[in-house]
Amino acid sequence: MLLFRSEETVKQWCIANEIPVRPMINLDQLWYLAQTWYGNRLSVDSRRPGPDEMSGIFAQIGLAGPFWDPKSDLW
Amino acid sequence: MDIDTTVKLNIYETIAQTTQTPTTKDVAKALGIPLSDVESVFERLHKKRLLVPEPGDPSHIRMAPPFSGVETPFRVKVQEKLYYANCAWDALGIPAALHKDALIEAMDGFSGEPMTLEIKDGQPVSHPCVIHFAVPAAKWWEDIIFT
Repeated sequence: MLLFRSEETVKQWCIANEIPVRPMINLDQLWYLAQTWYGNRLSVDSRRPGPDEMSGIFAQIGLAGPFWDPKSDLW
Repeated sequence: MDIDTTVKLNIYETIAQTTQTPTTKDVAKALGIPLSDVESVFERLHKKRLLVPEPGDPSHIRMAPPFSGVETPFRVKVQEKLYYANCAWDALGIPAALHKDALIEAMDGFSGEPMTLEIKDGQPVSHPCVIHFAVPAAKWWEDIIFT
């Protein structure tokens, strides 16, 4: 996932790479993901969230639907 | 503590302290265990999606998310240290993992224009930006280096 200054530069990037515009999130949402994914990464019991945990984390910041479903086969 | 956890912690603690990803030889020497055991652990950690070996050279780490084993456009400054992140998410993941504030130097994905983000007092400083996900969650690990 890439960082952009605005939605306009996202659209320009998508046109240049011939892919559709897909979901975007803001900085506060990204910080939430960063903390939930990596907050305990240097701990003994650290691990990557499983699929159901991932869906729960995404739902907490309003990210739902097949695009955010790690088990989806719709894409 | 089992060997997988011991190796995992050594990898992450080494990166946190030195900013550099250790090789299998580095880890074997640091922990005093056989190289072949460390190589097996690297494979298992890859399956658990806790590290990505360098393509064509499994003795080196390309990614130990959120850290990158190679230089990237996402430069994360924490106190006097400079880390590299794999993507926008991981750029914030480094201060999250280290529980420290950070200054992140990146660039607009289209224009290449420099962008700076900051984590201060444990929170992101407001900055006009968006993060675009080109790949759906179910396919992130099909080509994690591209993702």
